[in-house]
Amino acid sequence: MIPPALPRRVAAFLLQSAISIAPRDTLDWGHAMLAELHHVQGNWAALLWSLGSAGVLAKHALLSLIFPSRNRPTIPSGGDLFSKEGPMRKPALAITASCVIASLLFFVAPVFRQAFRVSLLPWQFVFETDYSRLSPELQSIVKKAEQDHDAEALTFVAFRHPQSSESARLADEAVRLDPNLSWVYAFFARRSSLPEIDRWIPVLERLDPQNALPHLITAQVLRGNVPHRAEDEPPAWHSAMAAAFESAKLDTYSSQRKALDRRVLIRYHVGDPELIAGDELFYRRAPYGVSDATSYAELVLASAQVLEAQGDTKAASEKYLAIANFGKLLSPDARVWFWENTQQAAYTRLAALAAKSTRPEEAAFYAFLADRERQTAAQESSSRYRRFIGNRVARWDADLARRSGAVMLLSGALLLATLFAVFLRSRSLRLSSLRPGGLAIALGVSSSAAFIVSSVVLRLSYQPYAEILQHFIRDGDETGLNNLRDFLGHAYAPIGSGWLTPRQDYSSFFWFSVIVLCALALLVAVLRYFQARPRANATT
Amino acid sequence: MSPQTLRVLERFAERPTAWRYGYELSRETGLKAGTLYPILMRLAKFSLLETKWITTENGVPPRHIYRLTPNGMELARAKQTTSRSGVRVRRTAFSGGQA
Repeated sequence: MIPPALPRRVAAFLLQSAISIAPRDTLDWGHAMLAELHHVQGNWAALLWSLGSAGVLAKHALLSLIFPSRNRPTIPSGGDLFSKEGPMRKPALAITASCVIASLLFFVAPVFRQAFRVSLLPWQFVFETDYSRLSPELQSIVKKAEQDHDAEALTFVAFRHPQSSESARLADEAVRLDPNLSWVYAFFARRSSLPEIDRWIPVLERLDPQNALPHLITAQVLRGNVPHRAEDEPPAWHSAMAAAFESAKLDTYSSQRKALDRRVLIRYHVGDPELIAGDELFYRRAPYGVSDATSYAELVLASAQVLEAQGDTKAASEKYLAIANFGKLLSPDARVWFWENTQQAAYTRLAALAAKSTRPEEAAFYAFLADRERQTAAQESSSRYRRFIGNRVARWDADLARRSGAVMLLSGALLLATLFAVFLRSRSLRLSSLRPGGLAIALGVSSSAAFIVSSVVLRLSYQPYAEILQHFIRDGDETGLNNLRDFLGHAYAPIGSGWLTPRQDYSSFFWFSVIVLCALALLVAVLRYFQARPRANATT
Repeated sequence: MSPQTLRVLERFAERPTAWRYGYELSRETGLKAGTLYPILMRLAKFSLLETKWITTENGVPPRHIYRLTPNGMELARAKQTTSRSGVRVRRTAFSGGQA
């Protein structure tokens, strides 16, 4: 329950505070408003009175800070009487216009337009209502690709299409145009709900009979989306996994996919970083089939241990070797996820069996491999956390880019609103007849300065990632792609969601505040300089 | 000149010699303090408005009161005349020339 007199007390306090910051020439008026406050009927009405009055005093305080010695006429002179501050100041107009023109010139460069789009990523979730819609850039690619019968471009879009059925259609169309692209089916197998998978798996098997991948896809389709205990999986799942473990290689076709992406990017002059690095941004997926393979390997490991206990060391060794051999097929990033402990256990058991069979050299070799797996596991577990957090510099840059984009939006909106208000009040579109007040000038100059400063910051913070992108497209250099992914991943985070990140970096907030304060100080200094100059000219 | 300023001038012109309080003007014109005071300040700055402090009751702070200067009165009358003729012209236009 709010005490009835509280709003009036708050109102008096607020107005007294406003008087304390008011410039000298408005003190009388401040006290006049305060005196009237005692006669305002109603406590809430008194608070409203105080808010309005304090706003007037605060505006004058702000203007006197920016224009310390405003040269106000004391005698009315015709048209100047109700124009708020006299003719528009030329320096202010020049600053505003040059800042706006310079900022717009930034947009001429495609890299800056790209950076601006990236800086707006945090707002995408606010404005995007239909996630199943293809982006305009991809729409234009698919339209042109269908006209030109460009199978690779159709595949490029199929990889990125948000609708599974449409991406399946595009993939089928691409393979129909160019049967050599049948490997692309491997990438759609993740979407196990697609009915086309049953048709695609035999195609993949025929493409490369030695590859374990089609068997892993079969196992995933049989398992469905909900994983069970390996013992409870159907016999067909066990057969598929056994076939995968007997395969000579595991090719996920990722190098073919990157090469195809690059060719399409060059052909269609696409420079959108999201299209290149964005499709696996939100989660670092476990590489394909690793989950099934790990479940199956654990099952094999358990059965080998049973055989070993029963004295059938030959059969047990074969099972341990099958695990070890399949582990070697996995790429290092795949082994990071689940595999290392199983692989290590297989080597340890093989070493123990070799030692029991008095084969010391073989035992030492397997012990060495087991130890190497242990070391790799230790290194990977420490680097896994770092990988999860991502690159600190990329996070900083993404933070700068997001904030710069937000400042650009805000200052642009403020500038437009100010211009609109000035034109509306002047009721004319002629520049010579515009008569903005001090507040309008301050808002116009500061928002245009904020616009250009944020444009520069955005351009600089995005520059390294534009270069990474160009290196990848031009030379196929993938060294910086992880940094680009980290940058984009952080760029997606809404502003103010820093507390969600595993390790919060307060220093970035501190330095960002320092930059903003310095920019404001610079702005005030510039405005004071321009304010003082006409008076100096006038006295000479 | 803004419609709000015209409204304030009209109120002053109704009783040209009377001194008016800020709150009284606010209630009569329906303008909030944030709109009214900048208008009063501007009128006073251009010597169209007289201001003075008066003591009313014991324990109550002195109040600021306002009245138009002769220049202010002249301006108020001129604006009232312009405003009325503007209304007449508009009525004529809307009634197809039959005033």
